[in-house]
Amino acid sequence: MKHLMSALALVATVAAAFTTPARAETVVIVSQKNPATRMFSEQASQFFLGKSNLFTPVDQPESSTIRADFYRKVADKDPAQVKALWSKLVFTGKATPPKEYAGNAEVKKAVAADPKAIGYIDKSAVDDTVKVILTLP
Amino acid sequence: MKKQLLVAAVLAATAAMQARAGVMDDGDLSISGFGTLGVAKSNTDQAQFARYNQAEGVADKARIGLDTNLGLQATYKINDWLSGTAQVLTRKNTSTSFTTDLTWAFLKARINDETSVRVGRVVMPIFLISDYQNVGYANNMMRPPIEMYAQAPIENVDGVDINFQRAFGDFNFTTQAFVGTSRGKLFIPTGGGSVATYRAPAVGASASGEYGPFVVRVSHARADLNSDDITPINSLSSTLKTVGFAQLASDISLVQGKKIAFTAIGATMDWNNIVAQAEYAQRRAKEAVYIPDTNAWYAMVGYRVGKFLPYYSHASYRDAGHSVTLPGNFPKTGVLAATVANVLASAEQTSDLIGVRWDFAKSVALKVQVDRVKPGAKSGALIFAPAAGIKSNVTVVAAGLDFVF
Repeated sequence: MKHLMSALALVATVAAAFTTPARAETVVIVSQKNPATRMFSEQASQFFLGKSNLFTPVDQPESSTIRADFYRKVADKDPAQVKALWSKLVFTGKATPPKEYAGNAEVKKAVAADPKAIGYIDKSAVDDTVKVILTLP
Repeated sequence: MKKQLLVAAVLAATAAMQARAGVMDDGDLSISGFGTLGVAKSNTDQAQFARYNQAEGVADKARIGLDTNLGLQATYKINDWLSGTAQVLTRKNTSTSFTTDLTWAFLKARINDETSVRVGRVVMPIFLISDYQNVGYANNMMRPPIEMYAQAPIENVDGVDINFQRAFGDFNFTTQAFVGTSRGKLFIPTGGGSVATYRAPAVGASASGEYGPFVVRVSHARADLNSDDITPINSLSSTLKTVGFAQLASDISLVQGKKIAFTAIGATMDWNNIVAQAEYAQRRAKEAVYIPDTNAWYAMVGYRVGKFLPYYSHASYRDAGHSVTLPGNFPKTGVLAATVANVLASAEQTSDLIGVRWDFAKSVALKVQVDRVKPGAKSGALIFAPAAGIKSNVTVVAAGLDFVF
C-alpha cells in the first residue's frame, strides 16, 4: 500500500513538473445571482476553512494540483494542514467539509446553480454562467 | 482477544480509508472516522503513566492501550437546516479492556448562517482542545497534557448547546454555551483502583477570537458533581461520622452533590511555520468537597519543516488550596489527621516532552513523543505508585499513527 502510494506520489510529482510551465491562473467564482463583486483572498479562505457559513464552498478533488495550489495561496496551508483543520470541525460536529466536484466544469456548474456557492477554477474555464470575484496570481 | 479485534478494526479502517477517502460523502449520509494506533512504554515498573480517567497505564512494558483509539461518526442531513450526528469511540478508558461509548448523538438545527443549536449528547467544551482531544490527527501532541485535562474528566453532557459565529472583517468571533447533565464513570486510582459513577448537571460558555493564524479562547463551566460510590471517600466519611465529625464527613463527600467551577484561557498560533499552543486553567470548588483546587498550565511550541513538525512542551499542575475547613477540635496529628490531610491535598506534577509529527501520507500522520514526567506531591498523575510515593522522574516513549477517513 505504502509503496503504491509513494509510486503514485512520484508519478504525480513528475507529471506536475512536466505540465506546470504554462499553467493558467486560478480564479475564485460565484454565481451570477450572488451580489458579491470582489473579495480578498483572506475572505475567500474563511469559507473554505469552515470559519464562515455565509457562502457555501465547493471544492476541487482532494488530490488535484489546483486544490493544493489554492489553499497554499489563500491560506498558506498545505493539504495535510487543511485536512487537520477540517478534522477538528468535523469530529466535533461543528461543520461538514466542502463538497467535492470532479473538476473545473463540475465546480463551475455547481457554483452557477447556487447563489450562495463559492468555488475556484482555472481561469481558462471561466464563462458567463459564473462571476469572477478574485484572481489568484 | 479484544485487542486483536481492535487492531484488526483499525487496520481494516486504514485500508478502507485509503480505498475510498472522500467518497463516503455521498448524498445525505456521510460517514467519517478517526483513530490512532499507538504503542508506548515507560522506564519504570514502580508506577503507571495513564491518560486521565484511564484504569490502566503503561509501565516498563510496551502497551497499545494508552493512545490507541478508533472513532466513527455518521451525519445524516435531514434537510437544509436540520441534521443528525452520532459518534462512537472505542478506547481504553475506565476499564482495563477496550470499550465503546456513544460520545455524541445530537440533532443540529441551523437557525441562520451564524447560529446553530444542538440537542442531544454534545461535547462539554471546558478546555481549548476538549472538542477534539480524542482526534489524534487534529492535534500536534500525542495526547492532551494530563496536567491540564485531568482537572475535568467530564467529556460530554446530555442537553443542549448553542453556537454563534460572526466575522468582523478578518476577525472571527465564535461563542458557545451549553447546559445539560453529564453521566459517566470516574476511575479512582487509590487502593487497588475502583470505578465510581457520577451524575453532574453542568452549564458553561466559551468565546474565542481568531485573527489570521492567532486564536484566543476563554471558557467557564460549572458542574454539580454527584457520586455516591467513591469507595475510599465514602469509607473515610463514615469513619469521620463515627468519631463525631459529622460536618466534616458531609463536607468531603460527593453524595449530596458539590459545585465545582473551571475557568480556562488558551491560545493557539500557526504563523510562518511556528506552531504554538498554550493554556492556563483553574479548578475551584464552590462548595466544601474533598476535591482540591488546582492551577494548571502548559505551553507547546513547534516549528514546521516541510511535512515534519518537531515540538516541545512543558506542563504543570499545582495545589491551589482546598474548600474544606477542619473543625477546631480536629486532631492535628495521628492517622486520621494524616489521612484527611492527604485526601485534601492535590497531587502535583510537571512534565517536559519532545516529539515530532510527520504528515507522511494523505490523511495519515506518524508521531513519536518522549515525555519526561516529574511527579511531585502524591506521585503526580501517575497511577498505582508505591504508598511512599514516587519521587524519581519517569520517561515515557510513545509512537503512534493518526488517521482520519
